[in-house]
Amino acid sequence: MYVEATSNARTTRSERSIVDHSLAPPCQAVCPLHMDIREYVDLLAQGRTMEALHVIRKDNPFPAICAHVCTHPCEEACRRGEVDKPIAIRALKRFAVEFGGDRMTQVEVKTEHGDKIAIIGSGPAGLACAHYLRRLGYPVTVFEAQSELGGMLRVGIPQYRLPREVLNTEVQRLTQMGVEIRTDTRVVSLDLLFDIGYKAVFVTIGAHQSLRMGIAGEDSPGVIDGATFLREVNLGLRPLLGERVGVVGGGNVAIDAARTAVRLGARRVTILYRRSRAEMPADPEEIQQAEEEGIEVLFLASPTGITRENGRLKVTCIKMELGEPDASGRRQPVPIKDSESTMEFDALITAIGQSPQTPEDFRLRIGKGSTIQVDPVTLTTNRPGVFAGGDAVTGPATVTEALATGRLAASRIDDYLQRRYPLVSDAEKESPLGPLWPETVELIKKLGRLEPPTLPPQARAEDFTPVELGYDWESATSEARRCLRCGMGAEILFQDKCASCLTCLRVCPYHLPYVDATGTIQIPADQCQACGICVAECPAKAIVLRKPHDRRHIAEELEHILRSAEEAKSKPFIVGFCCQYGLFGSGTLAGIWRGAKAGVWIVPVLCVAKVEPDHILRAFEAGAEGVFIAGCGEQCSRENTAYWVHQRVEKVRNTLEQIGLQRDRVQALAPGDSGNLGDELDSFTERIGALYLTSVLMEEVKS
Amino acid sequence: MIVAQEKPLDQIRRMIDRYPRVLIVGCGTCMTVCGAGGEREVSYLHEALRLAETRGGNGVHAFSEYTVKRQCDPEFIELLADRVSDVDAVLSLGCGIGVQAIAERFPELPVLPGVNTSFMGMAREQGVWDERCAACGDCRLEDTAGICPITRCTKGILNGPCAGTKNGKCEANKDMDCAWVLIYQRLETQGQLEKMRRYYPPRNFRTIPRPRRIVTRASIGAGGDHA
Repeated sequence: MYVEATSNARTTRSERSIVDHSLAPPCQAVCPLHMDIREYVDLLAQGRTMEALHVIRKDNPFPAICAHVCTHPCEEACRRGEVDKPIAIRALKRFAVEFGGDRMTQVEVKTEHGDKIAIIGSGPAGLACAHYLRRLGYPVTVFEAQSELGGMLRVGIPQYRLPREVLNTEVQRLTQMGVEIRTDTRVVSLDLLFDIGYKAVFVTIGAHQSLRMGIAGEDSPGVIDGATFLREVNLGLRPLLGERVGVVGGGNVAIDAARTAVRLGARRVTILYRRSRAEMPADPEEIQQAEEEGIEVLFLASPTGITRENGRLKVTCIKMELGEPDASGRRQPVPIKDSESTMEFDALITAIGQSPQTPEDFRLRIGKGSTIQVDPVTLTTNRPGVFAGGDAVTGPATVTEALATGRLAASRIDDYLQRRYPLVSDAEKESPLGPLWPETVELIKKLGRLEPPTLPPQARAEDFTPVELGYDWESATSEARRCLRCGMGAEILFQDKCASCLTCLRVCPYHLPYVDATGTIQIPADQCQACGICVAECPAKAIVLRKPHDRRHIAEELEHILRSAEEAKSKPFIVGFCCQYGLFGSGTLAGIWRGAKAGVWIVPVLCVAKVEPDHILRAFEAGAEGVFIAGCGEQCSRENTAYWVHQRVEKVRNTLEQIGLQRDRVQALAPGDSGNLGDELDSFTERIGALYLTSVLMEEVKS
Repeated sequence: MIVAQEKPLDQIRRMIDRYPRVLIVGCGTCMTVCGAGGEREVSYLHEALRLAETRGGNGVHAFSEYTVKRQCDPEFIELLADRVSDVDAVLSLGCGIGVQAIAERFPELPVLPGVNTSFMGMAREQGVWDERCAACGDCRLEDTAGICPITRCTKGILNGPCAGTKNGKCEANKDMDCAWVLIYQRLETQGQLEKMRRYYPPRNFRTIPRPRRIVTRASIGAGGDHA
């Protein structure tokens, strides 16, 4: 679709009048949990971390886990990526979890139903299902074959990616919610569960069985499969691998195994992958981090046989070339004749995929790849009251997908027990916003992505310390304000008021509004950057921002501040409209507060371009002696905002003058290079103080 | 479109001084487009007048506001009927036509002009308006290549340019293009320079009786073909 838009760059706007008005931002649309990413990123950009975490928690039962291991499809879909680089959404979520007071959150639940539910498996799907069922008020028991909860989260994902204390905290929350936990308990029969009174069962046993390569010598000592290897290490064993380790496969498990081998002391680790880098399913960041740690990736190589000689493995590899794309859309590797070579390893880890292993006594219908067959909408299996989900159904997938299935399963089990017809959620009916137009992309200010810091490679190989480090406050707000707030833009809400004056078309810094073929003015919702300039400039007041909160925001905040100022009876008082976004909002603004300037009352605004002349006059009318508007200046992520603030300040100044008030009672301020506007503000408050004194004296002289 | 400019605030304050209750009426057509009297300006003026009251020592007023779609149509003005019942004056941000239309509908009520109606023109760019038509009632744009010498020439002469043209600019305003040079250039582009050589007799303004009225409907009985 994007390619099409580019090649049609010369088509006129009116020809392109099909604007998608379903406004799901792409990040949210692709998120398996359908999280309101745009909203929490926006809150983070304002430094409102606790509220951001609250938004995150609404749709995600274990945000701390996702914050570490999510494969962030949202970032691939992010439209900022069309301008420069996507927003670092996962790192921002981690910031919210770390700084938003997550440890204080506790979900209060009451048991409201009598029907007990059993969950077999405590991986992300099982835990999420338990969480949501418990919130719905069901008694829930989780059965886990291993000694600790977490499933793949614990036995599959290495500690340097998901610290165990993070997992433990989230798991502990379930216990606090009253979920019954039975570890070291392998369920062998579903009938038994129904016999002892469970009314519904959720089977989420994961996919722990490694696939076999099907080559000679695969069972030799020294060859171990990835899932087993990671499980052993993660449960505390330290297998002796030797110095030279090979890993077969190109997925995340292969990368995890290779990086774990490095941490166990292997000197040289080589990944053998049968396709090329472009087809590698592992997360590119993971591959990069692996390479930083000295891991070598051999592409287009596939083992054909293994022999063991003198305690070492001789692995015969054949070179491959890429042929036609297969069903997955990736190009199929084809062996090149007579290209065999031999490599020597001390140990070989095979990680070419995993499949579920469902006990036969469950009597569940099994489909392709040993997965459990379910109805994708209801998650029901062939047995009444038995639901299934997670890797056991889909084959190896992501943590977030599993969490989403768990959440869905909870509501489906609830539907089943309450005898309701399972309805499709609205979220599934939305389609995401299309791409940005090339000319819009051109006009959006480029703001580099702040990558979260990582541990230097030499420090990583020593132990299992987390590799990725979190953002600090400054970096997080700076990163979050890069968000384009897709779909939150302006719309002509009152078409009957619109005089077709074209003001919006003329003031838009992104040149987005256009006159369509019927002569009607249109603001393309999928392109608008929500700067709010047209909203404030529309002479008919026909345009609003799509987010109801943004519409009322300034007027409400202003009235609130004016009431507070009145109650405080401080004289003289000054009202400042200050941008709440980014560094300015959380840094400079906080400085003003902390400086405790007497009588300075701050109205936080989401970009000063949204402050209208009326707001300024209103502040004066309520008794303010001076008004300043402090924007981010050069740091503003949008275009032309300072120009429009200047226009409005001049308009108000002319009015003040006609009323007999001094022009310089209103002023626009912007932080200089130092990012500080303390000095400017000081001189402004002094000036206003002097004006106030003069006016008081004049009054006394008169009387 | 009709273009107007807000009146200076002190002038408005003087006008409304004696009326305690004032309804500010905006116009949703030309005055909205030219930014002088749409809903936004109504609300700004409202705010400014209240500020003038609290900080500028004006008497105490009660203001209300309303914007009609078009002040020059009686049907739209009818929507004001309920709203004017408890006010002492209407401050209209419509053009001169709007002010008169409201005054005509509510003869007992003082209707005050909030804007200075300036000219008929078009937008040059955001916030910049240019006069284009004088409504002379005798359009000669065919002969002048679509450029009106009545409005765009300072002297409004029909046989230009005069001797005051210099480098394509007007002697009265060196930043302003000489309309007749523009006419010449465009006629040249169109290959119609012979129109420059013609003589246009002076217009007889005495033949235009004011106020003018245009009646487009046929009067019944005039043609003698009614049944």
